[in-house]
Parts: sequence; C-alpha cells; structure tokens
Amino acid sequence: MRDGLVQLLVDRGFVVTDAVSEPDALRRSVERDCPDVAVVDIRMPPTFTDEGLRAAIDLRNQHSGLGILLFSQYIETRYAAELLADDAAGIGYLLKDRVADVTDFVEALVRVASGGTALDPEVVTQLLGASRRADSISVLSAREKEVLSLMAEGRSNAAIATELVISEGAVEKHVANIFMKFDLPVSQSDHRRVLAVLRFLES
Amino acid sequence: MISEDLETRLRGTVGTILREPFTKRTWSEFWFLVLGAALAFFGIAFVGLTMVVGVVFAITFFGLAVIGLSLRGARGIGRIQRGMARGLLGEQIEDPDPFSPRPGFLGWLQSALRDRTGWRSMAYVAVKVPLAIFGIFTAFSVWFDAFTCLTYPFVGGNQPSEFGLIRVLFQPGYFSIGGPGWLHGAAIFFTGIVLFLVAPWAVRAVIYVDRFLMQALLAPDAMAIRVRSLEHARAQTVDASAATLRRIERDLHDGTQAQLVALAMRLGMAKEKLADPDNLDLDQVRELVNSAHRGAKETIVELRDLARGIHPPALDIGLEGALSTLAARSTIPTDLALSFNDRPTPAIEAIAYFCVAELLANVAQHANASQASVTCAQHGRWLRLVVRDDGIGGAQLSKVGSSSSGLVGLTERVHAVDGRFDITSPPRGPTVVTVDLPLHA
Repeated sequence: MRDGLVQLLVDRGFVVTDAVSEPDALRRSVERDCPDVAVVDIRMPPTFTDEGLRAAIDLRNQHSGLGILLFSQYIETRYAAELLADDAAGIGYLLKDRVADVTDFVEALVRVASGGTALDPEVVTQLLGASRRADSISVLSAREKEVLSLMAEGRSNAAIATELVISEGAVEKHVANIFMKFDLPVSQSDHRRVLAVLRFLES
Repeated sequence: MISEDLETRLRGTVGTILREPFTKRTWSEFWFLVLGAALAFFGIAFVGLTMVVGVVFAITFFGLAVIGLSLRGARGIGRIQRGMARGLLGEQIEDPDPFSPRPGFLGWLQSALRDRTGWRSMAYVAVKVPLAIFGIFTAFSVWFDAFTCLTYPFVGGNQPSEFGLIRVLFQPGYFSIGGPGWLHGAAIFFTGIVLFLVAPWAVRAVIYVDRFLMQALLAPDAMAIRVRSLEHARAQTVDASAATLRRIERDLHDGTQAQLVALAMRLGMAKEKLADPDNLDLDQVRELVNSAHRGAKETIVELRDLARGIHPPALDIGLEGALSTLAARSTIPTDLALSFNDRPTPAIEAIAYFCVAELLANVAQHANASQASVTCAQHGRWLRLVVRDDGIGGAQLSKVGSSSSGLVGLTERVHAVDGRFDITSPPRGPTVVTVDLPLHA
C-alpha cells in the first residue's frame, strides 16, 4: 500500500521525502525534511488504534505550515472533529479508497498542501446525517444541499462549479443563500468556510 | 522405653491442660462465644420482628419489601459473623458474591427475595440461637462458675452463686463441705481451679459445632460456587469471541482491505494512463497491470487463509477427516490415532481442531522435534486429545510470547466448555499436552 502510494505520487511528479511505518519515525522525518504535506494513516503501531491521529495533532501543533492528509479505512466523525478542532487549514481526511480515483486524490492532496481542506464526502454525509440541525438543513433546496456538501469537503467555488456543471456565479449565489439561511458570517477563504459549516452542523 | 515415652506424652498433655486457660486462642474463643450469642439474639429479634411484619402484610408490596429488608439484614448479620469468625477464630469462611440487585424497585425486590445467601444467613441465625443458648448454659457457665469459685475466698459471702450446667448437675449447695471456714474456702477455690482448666475445652466444643454451621450456611454453597465458575467461564467465552472478532477485523483491515486499496490504486493509475493515448507508455501500463494482477492473487490466498481460520472447511467432513488433513499437512512427521464412535457437537469439533492445529504448529515452530503423535479417543461422554512430541520441551502456559499466548487462548476455549487442558513439558522434553473435552457442549 505504502509502496504503491509512493509510486503513484512520484509518477504524478511529487517529491516523496520519506516513507515510514511508525509515529516516531514520522515525527523525525517531518522534523528533518520539512515537507509541504504528510499523508498519515490513522492506525499505526504499536496498538493500531489512533496513533496516527495523535501524531498528526502533535505535528500540527509543532509545524504550523505543514499540511496533513489523514488516511483511513473507516470514517469516524469524532476523529474529524478532533482534527478540525481549531483550524481547518491544511487538513485532509479521506477514505483510503479515494486513491483509486487518482486525479481526485491528487487534487485533494494539492489542496491540503497549499493550506486548503479536503474532507471525504463520507465525513460530510455523516455530519449532515448526524446533525441536530436536520430541520434547518431541510430549508435548503436540493441544489443548495449539493453545494453545501461540496463546500464542506473543502472545494473552492470554481471546483464546485465544475463538479456541478454550473457557472461560478451561480455557485456564489447558492453559497450566499446557504450562509443567509443558516445565519452564518460570510467568509472569503475556503477553509474558514468549511469550519463555519462544520461548526454549524455540530452545534 | 515405653514408660519414658508415656511420661513424655503425659507431661505434654498436662502442660497443655495447664497452659490452655492462658492462651490467646482460648480468650478469642471466649469472646467469640459471648459476642456470637449477642449477635444471634440481636439477629433473631430483627429477623423475627421483620418476618412477622412481612408475612402479615405479605399480600401487599409493603410486606414483601419488609421481607426483602429482613433478608438483606440477615445477609449483613452473616457478614458480621464471618468477620468475627475470621478475626477471632482465624476461620476462613469464603464470602458469597455481593448482593447485586436488578435495577428498579421490582428488580430489587425480586433479587432480594430470591437471594439464596440471605435465606441461608437467616437459617443460620435461626439455628444459631439454640446453639447460643446451649453454649451459655454449658460452656459459658463453666467459666462463670470458675470465676465465682476462684474469687469466693477473697470476696466472702455465704455461697458462690451457681449458674447453668454446674447448677443442674450438682444441685445448689454442693460446695458447702464442712460449713464456713478455711477448709470450705480452700475446697471451693480448688473447685474453681478445676473448672478453670476445663472451661477452655467446653467452649471449644461448642465452637466446633458453630464452625461447622458457619461453613454450611454462611459460605457459598456448592451451587453458588458452580454458578460462579460458570459465570467466569461465560465471561471468558464472551471476551474470547470479542477478541476473535477483533483479530478478524484486524486481519481484514491490515491485510485484505489494504491490498484491495493498493490494487484499486494501481488499476486507477493504469486507467488514467490509458485515457491519455498521446503519451501512452505501454511498458508502464503493463507493469501496473502485472502488479495489480499479482496483488489480486495474493489477496485471494490471504482471504482463503483468513476464512479457514474462522471456520475450517475441513470440519464439514467431520473431525476425523479434518485431523487427518492437519496431521498430513504438518511439517513434522505425525502419527494419528483416532477412536471415537459418537460425533461430537460442532463447537467441540472446532475446539478440538484448533487445539490440534495450534499444538502441531507449536511443535513445528518451537519444539525442534523429529516426531509427533496425535491421539483422539472417546471415553464415555468425554473426548481425550493427546498431542505428544519428542522435542526439547520447556513449553509453558504463563510465558508471554506469540506461541504461548496461543496456548492461553486454547485453555480458555477449553475451560469455557468445562474441559481440561494439561501440559507437561520438562526441559529436554518430551512435551505431552492432554485435552479433555465433553462430547456435547
């Protein structure tokens, strides 16, 4: 799995500074190479529960510019919440399956590396489903819900426009509507938007 | 020779008799007699009162609740009694399981009324009262009279007061030899000494009966012990099956799933390369497809091994066939001797199979053996498995490590069905593991 990923990234023109199998080696490696982004599996030795997540949170506290893409076989909403606790900038949380769609995966990785956010659609679905604001979500139109999901994943307006095959202006209108209906402060940067939406869904 | 021996023994006995009234044990027993009697009277008063009220109102919840309280109280009295026995007599009486009522008032009531420990404690109180009365009129009265006789010459008076057994046996006035005077006083004092020497043994005799009663009524009975061991076994089974599920999840997660993700990733890369015909590098694509193909085949093998670990398909044809396959597949030459007529239940077959599989794997990995044998024979309603090897021995259950943690897991599975797991493995061998399993679990 790790070898395959390295091969994929090299193939796509990334520079892979290191590939390691346990949290301490990860910390040392980041310390030494100062990469743009670290791809971290949530389960790592010794107990294979959430060592990867712990290491990721530590790394974020120590290296402010470092993007972290967490990789997992399952989506646990609690993990996402812990990770996004104070900032959504440079955070990604994806199911491992997403690597099969190479282009989407690479896009997400680039987004995280450049300080954006990439949340798995699964995370967003869980948050939308589990939200106690289910009634407020029902005031959105079908299109607005689609836009909300993509926005929560961390996509920019341009990316949402491409995905839904509509104009960027239309997306901006939908986003403004969503923020108005939810009574959220309008924010320009993409990752602040994500955080605002998530906070709203979790509250 | 003989007379000397007799003299030694006689001297020993006399010494014991003379020393006994001054030992700690004697006085502990004396206090146990007195405090035990007090507790018994308090207990019968409490139980009697609450039970009468409870039975009178038994038609209402109030009455049942009072009976429940009575039983809870009896349990408490039993606990105090056990504590006294432990503290004063050094008698170890095992504590019954603590009262753990089901939630809610009705749950509490039901649990309290069905509390065997409570009922048995109540029975103890009921039986203890006559014993306590008996003890006071016999054993205690000896102490009492010894005391009055010994103090009589110094306190004076007409007659030492008499009480209990002594009074009944000797009638009032047996002390009055020769009327008042120094001879009279000396005779009474001497009687006091005799009683003083007898008293410890009288108390001990009564307490002997009480020890028996306490063991019979205040310790957990055979059924409670059986229930406890079954509960323990059940907990182990539940834990073991949870651990098994966890292991399977781990294997699926770290093995199969990861391999499938890698497979999908390679195919995804190949697909994207094929979608761009202008810069097509066929060698690269071929390499990607090749490694994906290899990965798919490895995954199939892993998945098959995993499935076999959950339920060996060989067992579908029966334990005989499955064990033959195991013996044949073992890397150490293995003799197999099977003799059973009745087919065990599937759960037992699975346990037997996993025992033999794990033990043979251990033999191959650790024993450094040249020969192994497996026998599986039916003895009535039991199945006895013996796995033997001529290796270096030294296998242990307690050792921490991959091989022996497997053994611990096996013993837990075997104990869960009331089986027995025995291992003898002296240094330099040979190792013999004997597993007894019931045919039907």
